[in-house]
Amino acid sequence: MCNIDKKPDMNGTCSMDGKTDKDRKPYWISAEDLANRGKDQIPPELISNTHLIYSSPATLAFNSPGAQGFGVKRAGLAIPGSVMLLVAPGCCGRNTTLLAEMPEYHNRFFYLMMDETDIVTGRHLKNIPQAVEEICQSLPQMPSVVMICLTCADALLGTDMERVCRKAMKKVDIPVLPCYMYALTREGRKPPMVHVRQSIYSLLEPMEKRPNAVNLLGYFAHLIDDCEIYDLLHQMGIRKTREISRCRDYAEYKQMAEANFNLVLNPEARFAAQDMQKRLNIPSVELTRLYQLDKIQNQYHIFASALGTTIEDQKYYDAAKEAIDVFGRAYPGTVFSVGEGCNADPFELSLAFLRYGFRVNEIFGTPTADNFVYIKKIAALSPETKIYSNLEPTMLYYDISEGEADVTIGRDAAYYHPGCPNVEWSEDVQPFGYAGVKLLFEQLLAALQGAGKESAV
Amino acid sequence: MKGLRKYLAPFAPDQSGASAVLSDMGGIIVICDAGGCAGNICGFDEPRWFMKKSAIFSAGLRDMDAILGRDDRLVEKLALAAGKIDAEFAAIIGTPVPAVIGTDYQALKRMAQKKIDLPIMTVDTDGMELYDAGEEKTWLELFRTFAGEKLPVVKNRVGIIGATPLEIHSMNAPAEMEETLKEQGVEEVFCYGMGAGIKQVREASSVEKNLVIAPAGLKAARLLEEKFGTPYEVCYPGAGKILRDKLARQGFSMDDLTGKKILIMHQQVLANEIRKEIGDRAVCTAATWFMLKKELKSEGDIHLTEEDQFTELISREQYDVIIGDEILKNAVPGFEGIYLKLPHFAVSGKL
Repeated sequence: MCNIDKKPDMNGTCSMDGKTDKDRKPYWISAEDLANRGKDQIPPELISNTHLIYSSPATLAFNSPGAQGFGVKRAGLAIPGSVMLLVAPGCCGRNTTLLAEMPEYHNRFFYLMMDETDIVTGRHLKNIPQAVEEICQSLPQMPSVVMICLTCADALLGTDMERVCRKAMKKVDIPVLPCYMYALTREGRKPPMVHVRQSIYSLLEPMEKRPNAVNLLGYFAHLIDDCEIYDLLHQMGIRKTREISRCRDYAEYKQMAEANFNLVLNPEARFAAQDMQKRLNIPSVELTRLYQLDKIQNQYHIFASALGTTIEDQKYYDAAKEAIDVFGRAYPGTVFSVGEGCNADPFELSLAFLRYGFRVNEIFGTPTADNFVYIKKIAALSPETKIYSNLEPTMLYYDISEGEADVTIGRDAAYYHPGCPNVEWSEDVQPFGYAGVKLLFEQLLAALQGAGKESAV
Repeated sequence: MKGLRKYLAPFAPDQSGASAVLSDMGGIIVICDAGGCAGNICGFDEPRWFMKKSAIFSAGLRDMDAILGRDDRLVEKLALAAGKIDAEFAAIIGTPVPAVIGTDYQALKRMAQKKIDLPIMTVDTDGMELYDAGEEKTWLELFRTFAGEKLPVVKNRVGIIGATPLEIHSMNAPAEMEETLKEQGVEEVFCYGMGAGIKQVREASSVEKNLVIAPAGLKAARLLEEKFGTPYEVCYPGAGKILRDKLARQGFSMDDLTGKKILIMHQQVLANEIRKEIGDRAVCTAATWFMLKKELKSEGDIHLTEEDQFTELISREQYDVIIGDEILKNAVPGFEGIYLKLPHFAVSGKL
């Protein structure tokens, strides 16, 4: 079943008061129809560059990644002891007021605001070295690095920021690095969140390798403390596992260069890993964040086998399975509404729920060719599951009474179902592996119990 | 150093001002950007966005759209959305991207008018000016576009021009102003942009007079005066009560201001009205980071542009009292006098 565009009604009045115009419906497509269309015929309503992007609280993370979680600005400050100078029109730094209030970012954001003359003459570039010097002098302690964050204006001006950074570096005698927040390139080969991952590891320099050291790449905050990956790596003989957010200082960050290999946990870090392979001779292996237990197990065993070793992960598997079973016994047949504003691929997560015996009524997501492996399986298990795009203009007409859900996952799904129990699942600290599944089901249980939902046991 | 901010994040930009004027008007609002500007406008500068649905969109521009100047693609996307959404008008709001590539907004407007059966507005904001510059342009364009017909004047009906969350001291301000005005005998209030929508804008000629509560509304009030003969008055109804409330909340009274040297920082009209309420009991200077209209300015009033200028002013003048948004305190940590908090959303994003 597919809700195709209705005939335009130019005479209606705009329902801006939260009420839904009964003649207008949001676009959705069933999992079955989407699977039948195939990855080469994704409807334009689900492809973001074919329409205006609806701006609602459900899309805030898409439009302005820094407004929630890690955007380029926060990510650029992942290097311990770093500060950032945002060189941009005032509008680009506006939301930083909120970030600057977080204790960990106090005294770390600075701004050099561009005006129209700067755009025309490029004179702002001459001021950057002096601004960097003034910032360093104003701080009680010299920063480890100054990140210069640039935005769309400089992307279009074609600014050679590497050269400007070199000039600034001469003034302060510490590294000065460009950091590109070019929203215009978000669907290009090297979008901002890919670029920034490369930038933050670019200060590592070749050093002697330590065979039993590994870096986890992909996130700007660390994995949950009880993630089994630390123990599994230990079983494989790894004695030092480093993540940038766990580095206490700049010296420890620099030690990341001694790793024997990088473990890439987020595809957006692939480019950074390739760069590290080229510059530092550190190879990489990629693991995907999954919520299907058997797939997690397969992935770990394939990984261990590739390294010529074995692992014992059964207790972690069992603990996660137990959390799923406890939830399933308490709330059998739970109906989920799954959003993309969470630490999961909404399609893979939905498939996991379906395979565990639950129902998924709605998925709010942006399907790409890569997701079709999940969409086809979702279609087989739950052909009627509705797939919406948060970004599509008709989402203005989403009626909170039309979607059935016992619990929602993600900030976006919570927006569409304000009265429904929600697990936001978007914390900075990252869930991964069996521990991620276990934590998710524990939080789901708590959310439903907290909302007073009657348990079956 | 010019343009350098070490303590204060940038204030609300012109594109946020433009959006704030139109947000409650029932139109399709397209932020002509790659996404980040729409995110900042909605997620940071528009508190109403979290409370109710509004048809705000990002144009979703990509590098090749900008490089090739593909305005036709934007118009196509807008036409597609206009076919799916019921709206009174469509507005395209500028950001740094169209500013850098030199978008011709008049041409964009004509292209859109040919494709879409709705009134089209374009606002040439560029993200480099402050919110009130965007508001001023938008108020003018709004009344030019929609307030066309001369209607009979309705006795005791008053218009308020300039109210947006970026200008007022509290989200309750429109209701408080209406209450104050009704106590003075006004029967009906059109608070444009915050309560009064496009229907009331079309009926703008029917009001007895307009009250301009922020400098950004001044040009639009003059336009309505020229066009319909509607008189206007610059004021901020209830400013005295606001001052007394803020003082009481921090444990002070008007007497605590007596004999003091006071700096008042807000948008010019509210700062002026607060100075008027304080009267002769203290020496007051108004300062603003935003518009300082000559016709509303008193001798010694200050237009702030740079952070350094602000810190030097505070250190040099030794004020006893500062009235302003709390976040400005970050730039003057050594200030030891009374800091009376008067929220300004355009400054801190908080009310």
